[in-house]
Amino acid sequence: MDSITKQEMLKDVEPRPRSTIVWATAVALILLPLVISTPLATEILVWSIFGLGFNLLLGYTGVLSFGHAAYFGLGAYTAGLTLRYWHVGLWTSLAMGIAAPMILACFIGLVAIRRRGVYFAMISLAFGQMLYFLALSPLKDITRGEDGLTHIPSVNLFFIALEKPRNLYYFILAITVLMLYMTWRILQSPFGRLLQAFRENEERAKACGYNTTLVKFFSLVLSACYGGLAGSLNTLYLGYVPLTTLFWLTSGTIVMMTVLGGKGTFLGPLVGVAVFLFLQNTISLFTPRWELFVGAIFVMIILLFPGGIMGTIQEKYLNRKMIRLQRKAATG
Amino acid sequence: MLSDVSWSVILMQLFFGLALGSIFVLLASGLSIIYGLLDVVNFAHGAFAMLGAYVVFLAVSLSGSFAIGIVSAIVIVAIIGMMVEFFLLKPLYGKDPLLPLLLTFGLSVAIPDLIKIAFGLIGEPVPYPEALSGATTIGPLILSNYRLFIIFFTLAILVSLWLFLKKSDLGMIIRAATRDSLMVQVLGTNTSRIWTTGFAIGIGLAALAGAISVPMMSATPDMGVEMTMVAFVVTVVGGLGSLGGAIVGGLLIGIIVAFTSLIAGEYSSVAMYFCMAVVLLIRPRGLFGEIGRE
Repeated sequence: MDSITKQEMLKDVEPRPRSTIVWATAVALILLPLVISTPLATEILVWSIFGLGFNLLLGYTGVLSFGHAAYFGLGAYTAGLTLRYWHVGLWTSLAMGIAAPMILACFIGLVAIRRRGVYFAMISLAFGQMLYFLALSPLKDITRGEDGLTHIPSVNLFFIALEKPRNLYYFILAITVLMLYMTWRILQSPFGRLLQAFRENEERAKACGYNTTLVKFFSLVLSACYGGLAGSLNTLYLGYVPLTTLFWLTSGTIVMMTVLGGKGTFLGPLVGVAVFLFLQNTISLFTPRWELFVGAIFVMIILLFPGGIMGTIQEKYLNRKMIRLQRKAATG
Repeated sequence: MLSDVSWSVILMQLFFGLALGSIFVLLASGLSIIYGLLDVVNFAHGAFAMLGAYVVFLAVSLSGSFAIGIVSAIVIVAIIGMMVEFFLLKPLYGKDPLLPLLLTFGLSVAIPDLIKIAFGLIGEPVPYPEALSGATTIGPLILSNYRLFIIFFTLAILVSLWLFLKKSDLGMIIRAATRDSLMVQVLGTNTSRIWTTGFAIGIGLAALAGAISVPMMSATPDMGVEMTMVAFVVTVVGGLGSLGGAIVGGLLIGIIVAFTSLIAGEYSSVAMYFCMAVVLLIRPRGLFGEIGRE
């Protein structure tokens, strides 16, 4: 094989999304509330933002956090509490809902990010549970405990009432597009390249003189930023904050969604979220025991397609491309 | 408020803490053995403990004997564990180390729902076995016989586990495989069978923990999550992969939970996580963790 084709292949390891895929996704998202119910469509967007951040940490940095509910829930509660008690505006509540989880991530990162992968997963889960139990009982006077935080005033974007589901959907869609673009830029930046280098071979990156702990720490804080934003938007969407936003199953759900869609692929979280919510909604029509089926499907995915939906498709595509290039090199 | 609390109350709470801690020790030592041997963090540990609790419920309502219940819980759940290891975990060895954790997480989501379909959402109570009901009075202390039984039974299990690991041939192989399984394989032992055995022992310990805790808090489908969390916190505090750490960590957390529920009841669920955060700040590798394994 000559050098040109080799170079061509290397360039293609992380394929750029083609313009057709970008436009198809855009059209699908714009038309989504016309096809399925607007609340479900909004839910897909909120979880997609959450998943984008989670994928940055799990898929691109290779750090598994089982406590992401802490950031989602803290964002949701912060946005809800500031709206309810301090009567702040839309942007202030969103900013607070993003800032609080980032501060929490700084603390968790400080104590735990140096630890080996499985250890970090356990510790982050435990911190998530700590927040859950804090909101459940000791802080009941503020968080309303098991009932969830209700009576959150509705907000306006300039003069548009976000109370209306359609308005809210397109507002969140604008934010989603912004976050998608930001994620793409982060992944293309030297910082993003570094993240992927660590995931591939942490020892080698360390030997090259990079401070792996510091970069992982920033990746965690960045991921918490997405989580907080998603949590705050979830508060706007629901109009109240259920205690389950902090529950361990919320962390588990985002793990399942991301792995299902394909960790470490750009559109993986979006696909995973859509498929997961579709499955959950469809199975719940027949039986309240949807967790059994979703859990079983997840186990099967881990065993048979650990790359998830997008990971498997990407691998197939790459394999075919490899074969084509090799054939071309052999004949030409 | 603390001034009205007399010594006997403190001793009583210490006793409650030891009994609770004994269950934690069983959970965490099972998790530790599995991690040490297979490098798998078993997220479904609490789910297996929950299965143990339900086997006890079934066996007691069929046979009426608590002893049969405990034995059948260990045996049946350990067999289920072996099957899980053989069919689901074995294909993942040598791949991404996070995959087994994710797989057992999937199990921990699915298994409780299976139990909900079979037994319903409401908990199933198991009465205290007759021989162990009542209480023993020592001076001003009234100690419930069942909790005394838990403490001494756990002690007996740990001593026999220690003897098994230190003195028996199989125990020696397990310890060797924990250190360096490739070397053990080179020396001509079928390590794949050792792994299955080790997994079964760990799951058996989890089932035992679930089984002996049933009379105090009836078997519910969702009891497993809490038990997984406890096992995680204890292993992080004690040091992952260390049996001594599991014992000290388990008793410590048990006593801390017992005392916080006395002094500030609403903080009792938060206390152990708080304790974990403090240990992580002071001694990041856990009380007994080896350097390099964290």
